[in-house]
Amino acid sequence: MNQDINIKKARTNCFRQSKVPGEFMLQMRVPGGFLDAAYLSVIEHIAKTWGDGNFHFGTRQTFDITGIPYGNIPAVNAYLEQYIREVDEQLCRVDLDTVSQEPQPWDPEGGYPTIGARNITACIGNYHCICANCNTFELARKIEPIIFPSHYHIKINIAGCPNDCNKAHLCDFGIIGVAKMTYHPERCIGCGACVRACEKGSTRVLSLNENTGKIEKDACCCIGCGECVRACPASAWTRQETKFYRVILGGRTGRQTPRTGKMFLNWATEEVVLSALRNWQKFSAWVMDYKPEYLHGGHLIDRAGYKKFKELILEGVALNPECLVAEDIFWQETEYRSNFNVKPMSLHHTAGPQ
Amino acid sequence: MEYALSAAQADEVLRALSRDFTVCAPKRFPKAGRYSDTDIVRYDRVEKFSDIVWETKSDYPAKEAVSPIQQTLFYFTEDEFRESKGPKKPILLFARPCDIHAQRIQAKIYAGNGGFEDFYYTRVRNLVKFAMMECGGGDDTCFCVSMGTNRTEDCSMAVKFSAEGMQVQLKEEAFLPYFQGMPETSYTPAFVEENVLKVEPPDLSDEGVYQALKKHPMWKEFDSRCTSCGSCTVACSTCTCFTTRDVLYGDNAEVGERRRVAASCQVAGFDQMAGQRELRPTPGDRMRYKVLHKFHDYKARFGESHMCVGCGRCIHRCPEFISIVETVRKMSAAVQEIQEEQSRAQAGAGVQP
Repeated sequence: MNQDINIKKARTNCFRQSKVPGEFMLQMRVPGGFLDAAYLSVIEHIAKTWGDGNFHFGTRQTFDITGIPYGNIPAVNAYLEQYIREVDEQLCRVDLDTVSQEPQPWDPEGGYPTIGARNITACIGNYHCICANCNTFELARKIEPIIFPSHYHIKINIAGCPNDCNKAHLCDFGIIGVAKMTYHPERCIGCGACVRACEKGSTRVLSLNENTGKIEKDACCCIGCGECVRACPASAWTRQETKFYRVILGGRTGRQTPRTGKMFLNWATEEVVLSALRNWQKFSAWVMDYKPEYLHGGHLIDRAGYKKFKELILEGVALNPECLVAEDIFWQETEYRSNFNVKPMSLHHTAGPQ
Repeated sequence: MEYALSAAQADEVLRALSRDFTVCAPKRFPKAGRYSDTDIVRYDRVEKFSDIVWETKSDYPAKEAVSPIQQTLFYFTEDEFRESKGPKKPILLFARPCDIHAQRIQAKIYAGNGGFEDFYYTRVRNLVKFAMMECGGGDDTCFCVSMGTNRTEDCSMAVKFSAEGMQVQLKEEAFLPYFQGMPETSYTPAFVEENVLKVEPPDLSDEGVYQALKKHPMWKEFDSRCTSCGSCTVACSTCTCFTTRDVLYGDNAEVGERRRVAASCQVAGFDQMAGQRELRPTPGDRMRYKVLHKFHDYKARFGESHMCVGCGRCIHRCPEFISIVETVRKMSAAVQEIQEEQSRAQAGAGVQP
């Protein structure tokens, strides 16, 4: 193999370098991980025509097509136009001519304009799941045009309920569908099914008052999973019509400082989540002084400090009355080496205008 | 007299009726279902034509309008008490034939059983007039034809709903004034003549077979499948079981009220006696009790028909997908097995000298 390849440029274009010299793996975005099954023939066509015939379910729910020789990239990109237009432009209403909030006309023959904001992953949500509290991929499709295309990295995972199968706790900005419940005592038969469900599968916030035969709830510790609704034989518990979300911030994996995310917002409405995300690029730009680096969102929060993050991300966001916000967040990192953050001043990072 | 009402005219008639009646019908409660973004259809007061859900079966039965899940019987203060006030207005209850038959059965339990008439049931039931909703055939959990509840004449009017409005056949003259000036038509209500789902309860008149069926291993299946949640009995058109509870107001035990609240034979503890003993400690025991009650015991006591009216709501609401029809079929298979065993035993006994 003797080719002059700019692998960083290929990576930004969503083609990942292979250990086999000159081969690449294409990562196709699937916001929310849900698509018409007809696209499987598109995957098959790309893999059989330009790749090695196989594909991998990317860990971020992308369609990953392996073994594409560098020389095939222009042909793959030209073929991708229809997929990108249908999935990102039409389904998600993404503006392909704006990158990192700056005008940059999209080359329809050129494939993905950037890899920056990563594919938004989601569990199947209430489209199918009996536990879920929200439609996860519809939310993903609303978020996609807010964060993509952008060179600023962010990983967003959406889980339909606090069971968090999709690991909102292990990404920059994890969103969990939660429900606020209404109790209808006049329909309650006092069977205690909700109490047992909460005890077995949630946070033990319900109890049966033996004097009244009705349920009492420690509302403060309720995580909004909706197991009580599922357990009730008489519809004495119902989910309120408004959908609420919990946002888990700053989780990550990695070689240096892996950590579980912590609660940033609780009981936020969809509009609050979307408006906070609309500030994401502005926040990232401020931290890196408008010079995007290949750096994930959680690290930007570290550099700026949580309080600065909170100030910038909530700028102009009209919080719904139920919404609670973390005053401070103290993450606990896995210490691969102790005193990881103690190092020469020259290795310290800065945030804000340079 | 028969009328064809547009939606607007139906609204007008319902408005007029509402002056003298509490009009109850199946109503949609958006997003109040067991799973996210699913609805519940249950009985409630309706005010206009568009409130009434007629295309689909209600999740909960019409009985809620007559014997609600919870009801205050009386209030007490020291040595005095006062009965709760019953409904003031008569009730016009929109119900399908299965639900109307269910009231015939509920009346047997509440007011025709053991020589005692339940005051609180009767005072409401006496105020109920039925508007029979012509049933388009229900859904795939319905089996009214098998249970003989597909037809009824027990109503003040019959109504056929469509997106455009409703056709009405008046059977009781007292309702004529509410329809004055409305366009007349020719309408005769139709009844469901066949369901996809059919069931034939086995003959359990032989005491030996009946006793052997109670001990049959078929019921064990439900120990692992049934969660004893009671959804089936709350959704049942005919279940009447309730428990009473005295609720004290604050810390003064002399003041309070007595309520009755629906109870379920499927929920553990239903049959718990002093000393903590339970007669039916397993889900299988409880399922056997319910199924035999609905498909044998009631008929054995009252004669006329089985208790189950085939509305299928227990199947529809069961979160574990247990079908009562399939359970009855399993029961029939078990009966056949028992009978074969009995005849083998008799034949075997015959060769003995």
